[in-house]
Amino acid sequence: MKRNIKTFAAAAMVLVLMLTLAACGSKNEDEGGKPTIRIGSKDFTENLVVGELYALALENAGYKVDRVFNIAGSVIHTSLINKEIDLYPEYTGTGLLSILKLPLMTDPDEVYNTVKKAYEEQFQATWLNYSKANDGAGLVVRTAVSKELGITTISDLQKHAAELRFASQGEVDQREDGIPMLEKVYGPLKWKSSKVYDNSLKYEVLSNDEADVAPAYTTEGMLANTDEFTLLEDDKQVWPPYNLAPVVRDEILNANPDIAEAINKVSAALDTQTITALNAKVDVDKEEYEDVAKEFYDSIK
Amino acid sequence: MDSSLWEQITNYFTTDIGAYLLSVKEHIVISVLALAVSALIGIILGYLCTVQRKYEKWIISLFQVLRIVPSLAILFLLIPVMGTGFQPAMTALILLAIPPILMNTVAGLEEVPDFMLETAYAVGMSNWQALWKVRLPLAAPLILTGVKTAAIEIVASATLAAKIGAGGLGSIIFTGLGLNRIDLLLIGGISVAVLSIAIGLVLDRSERWLFKYKYTGK
Repeated sequence: MKRNIKTFAAAAMVLVLMLTLAACGSKNEDEGGKPTIRIGSKDFTENLVVGELYALALENAGYKVDRVFNIAGSVIHTSLINKEIDLYPEYTGTGLLSILKLPLMTDPDEVYNTVKKAYEEQFQATWLNYSKANDGAGLVVRTAVSKELGITTISDLQKHAAELRFASQGEVDQREDGIPMLEKVYGPLKWKSSKVYDNSLKYEVLSNDEADVAPAYTTEGMLANTDEFTLLEDDKQVWPPYNLAPVVRDEILNANPDIAEAINKVSAALDTQTITALNAKVDVDKEEYEDVAKEFYDSIK
Repeated sequence: MDSSLWEQITNYFTTDIGAYLLSVKEHIVISVLALAVSALIGIILGYLCTVQRKYEKWIISLFQVLRIVPSLAILFLLIPVMGTGFQPAMTALILLAIPPILMNTVAGLEEVPDFMLETAYAVGMSNWQALWKVRLPLAAPLILTGVKTAAIEIVASATLAAKIGAGGLGSIIFTGLGLNRIDLLLIGGISVAVLSIAIGLVLDRSERWLFKYKYTGK
């Protein structure tokens, strides 16, 4: 969803992709042993970290891996279908809404089963096990406010909306799956005040006590700082789940069935809190995503 | 496609008219205030430049340098110091608007012919009287041209204020960009354009009113 905005990067990414493929297109079946697997990833922190985790898992299982990272979200599905990459980390909600363009569902299992079935029929690709990690839409409040008013869910928030200042980025007030959908389910949100800020400023605005509530994505690194920020529970399940799961081309999976086992182990180890902490190491502590992935992989190996 | 765009636009105006008017109001308030403050600072500094020649180089080059820094960068740089919202937006706009007013004030005051000042002193005017009755009125048209330039820059740049929570028509434009909605982009963009034309016209009118003597007989 949010990643699709970055289409301006698409052209550059395709070029990088083509160069990478030109450089290593021919060594797919070398040395008689296990083939080289081409792992793709989208162009933002979380997807890079998870892509790297998949790569480490496959290397550990004895595969050679080509990392075809930093592909724009809007073209990565096409890359997979065109056999330019073999697998990449995708989000169940993205598969459902952006790629298959199916109606919105909110149950994680239902979404997963729907995309899994549709991908097998339409794209000859398989969704391996999905992880509990969910990078979807959410609302964040200042922890001080959460404690003072006892707000931990969006239902609580709705009751106290009139006392709270909302830091919007404009979009969320207008888009169907933003505030309008919340209000339909939870009731009206009559904020004390609502101002528009640039998305990059929301945590600064919150910690400067210039607003109390802001829209967020549920695995943003800043959320690891729970002393300052509290992510609210979507207790009536309004927003679709965006669970992380690897999508693999059937051709590759059928020839190398043990890929599934290696990667499912990674998925099992990821939940929203873990992935938020990994994102925080890259985005807040400015560590390299490769190092963060390696350290985490060593801890679950 | 065209008819649906019209529909979207009329839809927006029927459902969100309150929010729209609020944005327009915020945009006007911030622009007019920024213009007033920068005109005051710009004209005073301009006057200082002409009386104290040694300041001129410093003051002018300082503002020229500040002018090179993009307004958006100034906005974001000010946040750690002033927080978000109205104050940093005002500061950035004032910094942006001072240079044209300053330059034109200096040019206007310097172009007053010496013989006129000499005449003024010869009829017994004090320094202040010479300034108020001779120099400023003669320099005023040029100063006002500077204010007009500044006004148009301010109205356009106030759009960016939406990035840091100061509201204004920019919030409609950025929402439109984020959602890829042409209707919002058109509404926001055209409103900004209309506003800057309007403010230009108002200043033109006030110039004609202030300097009636210039236009008699034309």
